[in-house]
Amino acid sequence: MAPNPKATVPDSKNIPHSHRLPANHREVQRIFSKLSRASLISLAIQWLAKKNRDFCRPFLLGDLGDEEEERDDELYTPAQSYEELQEIYKQLAGRKGGKREIQDRILEGDWRTGVSMYQLATADIQYLLDHTNSLRWTAKRLARIQGAKSAVLDMEVTNDSDHLPRFQAQTFMGNLARELTPLMKAHYLLMKVRTRPMTVLRVYMHDSPYSTESSLAADTGSDSARAVFFIWPNGSPFVYSSIANHLGQAIGDDGRHLRDIVQQAIPKAFSRPSARYQLAGTNFVTKSLDALLAYRGPGKSNAAAGGWGIFQDHSFSQNALDFITSQKGDPNEKPAASKPTAAPSKRALDPSETPEAKRKREIAEGRFGTSALPNDGRGLERFDIRIDDAFPQSSAQPDGNTSLPNNARPASRDRRKGRPSLLDRSMEEIEELQDSEAWVPDVRMVFQGSHVFAGIRQLVEQGIVDGEKMPAWMTGEAGVTVGVVKEGRIRMKKGNIPGV
Amino acid sequence: MSAMETLDNEIGDLQAKIAILQAHRANLSTILLSQPHLPARLEQRPVQHEGHRRKAAKLVEKQSKRNLENVYRACAGVTAFKVKDPDPYAVDDGNVLGVRIEVAISGRFIETYNVLFNRPDAQYKMMLKIHKHTIPPCIPLQALANKWLPMTRKDVETATEQNLVKFGRSLRKELVSWHMRLEAITKLRSEAGVEDEAARPEEAEEPAAGRVLNAFMSSDDESDEDDEELQRRRNSPVKIMELEADAAGREITLTWTNGRVGIMKVTKDGEVEKAVVKDEDGTRDAALGRKAIGRIEGLVQRLAA
Repeated sequence: MAPNPKATVPDSKNIPHSHRLPANHREVQRIFSKLSRASLISLAIQWLAKKNRDFCRPFLLGDLGDEEEERDDELYTPAQSYEELQEIYKQLAGRKGGKREIQDRILEGDWRTGVSMYQLATADIQYLLDHTNSLRWTAKRLARIQGAKSAVLDMEVTNDSDHLPRFQAQTFMGNLARELTPLMKAHYLLMKVRTRPMTVLRVYMHDSPYSTESSLAADTGSDSARAVFFIWPNGSPFVYSSIANHLGQAIGDDGRHLRDIVQQAIPKAFSRPSARYQLAGTNFVTKSLDALLAYRGPGKSNAAAGGWGIFQDHSFSQNALDFITSQKGDPNEKPAASKPTAAPSKRALDPSETPEAKRKREIAEGRFGTSALPNDGRGLERFDIRIDDAFPQSSAQPDGNTSLPNNARPASRDRRKGRPSLLDRSMEEIEELQDSEAWVPDVRMVFQGSHVFAGIRQLVEQGIVDGEKMPAWMTGEAGVTVGVVKEGRIRMKKGNIPGV
Repeated sequence: MSAMETLDNEIGDLQAKIAILQAHRANLSTILLSQPHLPARLEQRPVQHEGHRRKAAKLVEKQSKRNLENVYRACAGVTAFKVKDPDPYAVDDGNVLGVRIEVAISGRFIETYNVLFNRPDAQYKMMLKIHKHTIPPCIPLQALANKWLPMTRKDVETATEQNLVKFGRSLRKELVSWHMRLEAITKLRSEAGVEDEAARPEEAEEPAAGRVLNAFMSSDDESDEDDEELQRRRNSPVKIMELEADAAGREITLTWTNGRVGIMKVTKDGEVEKAVVKDEDGTRDAALGRKAIGRIEGLVQRLAA
């Protein structure tokens, strides 16, 4: 019996690139209205390129049916061919004009029959690359699960050993789809980014057993974010994940749940027999992609943040064959050549600087080095700290009271609504505290702003924060946005080396 | 308008000239300060101001220190230095030992990597722990540290043996071989006549987004046989169209103009260890795969032969 093409049956396929959403679909409207004119034009030209035509079929003159031919009230006459359309968009690119013009042309003219999933995904990624601070990212690390047998083997560094998970696009996509299709239908787009060293995966989640176009277009009613992004910086074990919510759109439990499903599938898709991976947290959440690449990226800067940055940007050690000593330490000599970020050198030119201010500036320079400058683009907007030191005994706390706050704590947590914070004490930590004698109150600190550590640096320069007594975590050199401080230092896992 | 331009050009020229002269002056003063017996002569000759003599002696001392440091760095490759951690809460009063690794490729020092150690355990003063470092994540630092710098657990009585020298040596080997692989891959690219994706200058009209990796069509609507470009490609002689490598330089992906794809696994010392070459229709080209095995340097020639 020939299969009926109209029937919708639950199946186990992915949503293909060429499935279309109607142009007035909420998701389509949202994404397209965010993009700039230049981005829209560049996208349209990309879609019309030969290799993408199968996924982004525009509405051409040949597509007009007989009955609807010759309608004069048409705002946009369909083009004859792909080449003609490409020409039109190239002309539009050379001209000035509003962004609305392009958006309407795409949605009501050339792609009036619908926007394919491929187009939607590329448009969403384009927005992400245009606005690198638009989403909140969580950095995770793909960590090898240590088997009892393989533990010894893993220590060995041989000529052909591999410590990073291998990333093969086809294999990875196949594995991921195999993990996910029984649970949901999804559209995947995996893209290598040209301007930054990373690979982006966008997963559009479709919570339905069907993978047909009509089920895609159907309004599910819930208005939560549908897409999730994952980014792999090249040559590193990290993964950044984010829900692609639009401005002001709430991330519902649905969206979060679907993201978790995808997130759980990712390490499985990376795993091979005898090399299994899991996602481990790295205590790092930020909105800035550039900060992510600096703190959890493929380069030298992961474990040399804050003042230690001088070790990775050559300001500490010159080239081994550079013998010239005279020009060093003389930033005034070439103010034009240095980057506009060099705020201290600007200040050094200021003749009214008092010796006291100069000393503070130098202290700040000593503690922060070349980091934490206001426009370095690596701003962290939130920094959460829990202080786990014992309450100072000198303030005459009688020992008898110690058990009371410990008992009171669970009750206070119940009162708080919402999800548990990353900073909540784990069971082991609570046990550890109960074993010790001292009273350790649950003190938390949050620093918030557009660039937290640049702010602290300014406070040090102004003398509000004592730069010499300030603990190191206030300079950002711990490289985390969520951390627990004990004895003035951020706690780290035993035996772990930072930044790998 | 043109007058403004000529003025701007003149200013630019002058600034360039100033920069050249300044570099020249710095060079000359370095040569002067590095003269042998200069301190002794400074001591002997009479000077008008004692302050000038002291200043000159200071400069000479600074220069000779730099010279000594550079000679050690250039000749040894791995050098150690001391750092003071400014953190008032730092362990061991902020004493930090730095290990610096120089990477030299084809006669130039191209990169310096640092590993900074502290001594967290007051009981075992010889135990070193990595505090900060600038090693990229594609180098197996954790595994090397596990092997050569194991940490003693709290309940163990005796200190575990650590070997900083062997750690430095193996880390340097990893770093140098990584850079050499990357260098070899750049060379392969120029041999194959493909341009480097990253080195290409930024063009305004080119989109920031890159290549879509899963843009393959599902098999049921494969009908692009009549695609002109594909046809043209098929008729022209087969050559390498793309050469890609991962960040660690351990895997090379080659794409030929006829749709043939080869993936090569490279060992750390630059040997192509395994290779799989598949034609467009999915059949494996075992002969070409066998040809690829060997040193990474001659890969393109071997495949073309």
